[in-house]
Amino acid sequence: MSKIETDAEVATRLEFEQTQRSEGWKLLRGMLRDQRRNLLLGALIGISWAGFKTAVPQMTKNAINQGIEKDGPLLKWVLIIAGLGVLTGVLSGMRRYVAFRESRWAETLLRERLFAHLISLNVGYHDKAQTGQLMSRASSDLMQIQGFIVMIPITLSNVIQIIAVTAILFYTDPVLALVALVPLPFVNISARRFSNRIHPASIAVQAEQAQLASVVEESVSGVRVIKGFGAEQVQFDKLRKEADDIFGETMKAAKIRSSFLPAIDVLPALGLVGVLGVGGHRVLTGQITIGDLVAFNVYLTLLIWPLRNIGMIVALGQRAAAALVRIHEVLSTESTITDPANPQQLPSIAEGAATLGAVRFDHVQFGYSADQPVLSNFTIDIAGGESIAIVGATGSGKSTVARLLLRFYDTNSGHVFLDGIDVRKLKLRDLRQQIGVVFEDTVLFNDTVANNISFSKSTASQQDLERAAKLAGAHEFIGELPNGYETVIGERGFSLSGGQRQRIAIARAIIADPRVLVLDDATSAVDPSKEGEIREAMRTVMSGRTTIVIAHRPGTIALADRVVLLDGGTIAAIGTHEHLAATNTRYREVLANMDQPKKVAN
Amino acid sequence: MWNTGGGVTDEDRLSRAQARTIIGRVFKMAAPFRKTMYMGFACVVVTTSCALAAPVIVRHGIDAGIRARNTRALDQSVMMYLAVVTLSYIFGRMLFLYVNRTGEMFLRVLRLAVFRQMQRQSMAFFDRNKAGVLVARMTADIESMAELVQFGLLQFLSAGLMLCFSIVVLLLLSWELTLVAMCVMPIIVLASIKFQHDSNKAYLTVRERVGANLSALQEGITTVRVIQAYAQEQETKDKFFKSNRALFESHERSVRISTWYFALVEFSGVFASALMIGIGGWLVHRGAVTLGTVVAFTLLISSLFDPVQQLSQLYNTVQSAGAALSKLFAILDSKPEVDEHPAAIALPESGVLKVDSINFTYATGEHPALNGVSINVAPGEKLALVGPTGAGKSTLAKLMARMYDPVSGTVSYGGVNLTMATMDSLRQRIVVVPQEGFLFNGTIRDNLRIAKITATDAQIDAAVEAISATEHFAQFPDGLDTEVRERGSRLSAGERQLVALARAALVDPAVLVLDEATSNLDPGTEAEVERALERLMNGRTVIVVAHRLSTVQRADHIAVIDAAQVAEYGTHAELIAKNGRYAALASAWQTSQIVN
Repeated sequence: MSKIETDAEVATRLEFEQTQRSEGWKLLRGMLRDQRRNLLLGALIGISWAGFKTAVPQMTKNAINQGIEKDGPLLKWVLIIAGLGVLTGVLSGMRRYVAFRESRWAETLLRERLFAHLISLNVGYHDKAQTGQLMSRASSDLMQIQGFIVMIPITLSNVIQIIAVTAILFYTDPVLALVALVPLPFVNISARRFSNRIHPASIAVQAEQAQLASVVEESVSGVRVIKGFGAEQVQFDKLRKEADDIFGETMKAAKIRSSFLPAIDVLPALGLVGVLGVGGHRVLTGQITIGDLVAFNVYLTLLIWPLRNIGMIVALGQRAAAALVRIHEVLSTESTITDPANPQQLPSIAEGAATLGAVRFDHVQFGYSADQPVLSNFTIDIAGGESIAIVGATGSGKSTVARLLLRFYDTNSGHVFLDGIDVRKLKLRDLRQQIGVVFEDTVLFNDTVANNISFSKSTASQQDLERAAKLAGAHEFIGELPNGYETVIGERGFSLSGGQRQRIAIARAIIADPRVLVLDDATSAVDPSKEGEIREAMRTVMSGRTTIVIAHRPGTIALADRVVLLDGGTIAAIGTHEHLAATNTRYREVLANMDQPKKVAN
Repeated sequence: MWNTGGGVTDEDRLSRAQARTIIGRVFKMAAPFRKTMYMGFACVVVTTSCALAAPVIVRHGIDAGIRARNTRALDQSVMMYLAVVTLSYIFGRMLFLYVNRTGEMFLRVLRLAVFRQMQRQSMAFFDRNKAGVLVARMTADIESMAELVQFGLLQFLSAGLMLCFSIVVLLLLSWELTLVAMCVMPIIVLASIKFQHDSNKAYLTVRERVGANLSALQEGITTVRVIQAYAQEQETKDKFFKSNRALFESHERSVRISTWYFALVEFSGVFASALMIGIGGWLVHRGAVTLGTVVAFTLLISSLFDPVQQLSQLYNTVQSAGAALSKLFAILDSKPEVDEHPAAIALPESGVLKVDSINFTYATGEHPALNGVSINVAPGEKLALVGPTGAGKSTLAKLMARMYDPVSGTVSYGGVNLTMATMDSLRQRIVVVPQEGFLFNGTIRDNLRIAKITATDAQIDAAVEAISATEHFAQFPDGLDTEVRERGSRLSAGERQLVALARAALVDPAVLVLDEATSNLDPGTEAEVERALERLMNGRTVIVVAHRLSTVQRADHIAVIDAAQVAEYGTHAELIAKNGRYAALASAWQTSQIVN
């Protein structure tokens, strides 16, 4: 802590952390409660396993004492031991199965909860959150929790086994038991300390590995620059430094291993030495039998693993607790954009509405943070079927208009209406199904073309698909793809050009026949020679439909009936393109800035 | 926990001959630290011997001490036992250090060697191999061996030794009981082999489904805006749940496979000691063995079975490390295609850049990317290359800077064939400014120094000044010493371009090869980039792959490259007058021009 805290602050922080932790454990308890029947079964199996396992050395002792040392029945004991072998075998397999299955099941369900919650959280949350962070909640944090849950039934039976073995040893010979058991608590302590120390060390190794990866990555992606300037040595030196760092960190981890692991091995062995020494003399003086001595030996080896595991589970539990807190944090975040309590219905043609898709922004104030207003006093009426281009410099709030209409964000004050109804009074699904959006960065899914287009309308027929694709000017090139509409596209599939991707996004936007179409400059990522085609597609889909075009290029503006010039979060001017171009200096400036140098067609 | 080894796919499995070559090479690479390696090996021998000596000592204590009622013999055994335990502790500590040190040293040498060899490769190599694959070689493949190096190697050695030693010890104690133990062995061996095979297969499925699940997860998070915009939350959830349940099923199956195996292992352990006691007891009655031997056998039986389990589990780890090594050695073996000639000479200060009837193909069997191209660029001349995408204009530009060597024909500068030039002089005379300004992690200054490691701060400042960008970079919080953050995310595309131009200015080359950006820069820096370019081009020979009319019009000559050949060559006016391809291109650009 760089900042010095007052006592009160420390108290508050500790209390907060305490609450967080207890909330985290509450989450785990809730999960385990749902699976309590199987977990209980696992515990029962584990306990019976521990019982039978503990009986084995007793039977061995009996066999030696009665069957070998004397002329008693040897075969009987041997058969009993073999029978116990069958029981412990079956039970240990079952214990393992139940423990792993239940922990995986808990992990599976929690991951589903997490995912469902994440995708229902408002866009404002996602704008701030980092994908990598959320991913590690759902992967590595869940792994920690799974690793802990799996240990629960195993630990339970281990504890039973330790208790039973200790009891038997003390019952047989308290003095020898003391000698044998003295070193054992240290096994547990060492295991716990080892686990606590090796964890940060291996994290440090991973961090160094990540740094090396980033040097390699930049060296490969930037190979043109490196070759162009002959800068191989610079990158090699960087890499050597990272390789040395990895070496250093792994050796630190090796030192930790070397100071703990041999110790953990040697401690029980010391118990065995003690048993031979003290126990041997006690056999000689007749206090115990030779069978007891052998049983002691076997019992001690039985204790080693349970003790190590219990040491480990403490460390595992600490890590799982931290993971639980982080997951709880996500799950307890509530979406700030939700369905209203009493949703209204949008008017429809059947109910006598004259035109559909009228949009109204009424004195809207909005900012992503309180001190930086993006839109202020923004008022505009867009008639059903009308098309509007929103023009403005970077950061003028153009894209925000679309986000407010979609209710990705709510206004700070003022209202947004669709067909006369405040968007906050509509069910999110009802609202959003009436708005087709093409985002600036065309996001497509790793899926078939058909599934990408019918994304917003899973019931769409092949005819619907083709109609939308034709309108968007995509039908033709889709036909030329290796599997037509069934071609898998996206990162791991067939790669499409920017223009093709955009036309698929347009088809996706119109397939459900929305009342309002929002095009966040659908041509900005497109090869200049293809711009014309896209623009043609846009013109077709816009006709007769309310359209808001967020324009980044002059050519796009010409498609709209009216142009809105945004400047500093307010509407600086409204009118046709010709009118504004003739009368408004600021408009001409913004336009001139947009007007990129002309390109030679490829 | 039980399947630590990375899964091995069938194509990863190595043949015996391959494995032998790999092992040979590994030992050669490990030569510099062979001493450490032998020390580690010695430690393994000592600790393994200690582990086996313990039960033998216990036997001595029971037979010679307790049963013979000989207190001295008993005390002797106790002291010996204590000595062995202490010895094993001391050597155990050393063992971790030596073995890990050996392994990590090997990985370090491997990392450096592979990276160096990767860097020596020509551009063609980087075209052929996807960036992701090359990064994986240096990271995932090497790290997959780290596990082997840290635990596996150790386990492998000690398990192997343990197995051999314990058979010897058991035979020395009693051949009869050894025979009995050997009867149980096949169960363990066969079960382990089958388990390893099945669990490997199950693990591969798990791995594949984990990957699919993570992609589904990531896709859900990154596309959340689209999902919400189209109100498809429910549908997306259903899809994700399906992949999640599939993952669960694969986990469940792999657990089921391990269930019977571990049950069997546990059973065989107890069963074997039952056999030992049963048959051993009978032998004791007959006087063939002593009770101490029977006890020693029940203690030693696990040192016979455990190594078998360990070895079979390690088998996959070793296999996948072998597969990783063979991929890495493939990189070490690949010869760089563009390399400095042993008798290379420095390029002259200036001269004509002469392309003489060159042919070039990216990969054998493919269509030629350049087919009999000849072109001359006089000192100080500006040549624009235009033409359709994929016609070969960028390729031609790259060959002019010897990013590739032509298949036939020559590229020369001032009369010296580029293939005969020293790399140093080549990089000083001819500089390529790529389409997008690529940034490395570090400060802006670090990024400029990439172009010339020996540059002083003053020289760097001068280079920035030479392209009139001093003011622009001064706007950053720490000026040129501002960290560019992850892959230059702090800088706009235009600013990155400025860095690329300043790099070129730092080298101060005679020839500049420019690949003009196709995408738009931010309006703010566009003008500055134009100005910087102007100043940089001044007085130099320039070859530019042009996408903009303004650039083409500034050029002295234009070469239209089409279908891997020079289709037209001349000045702007000449080519317009000729009314050929260039004129057609120009008019196509006219029609695509923006409205109004």
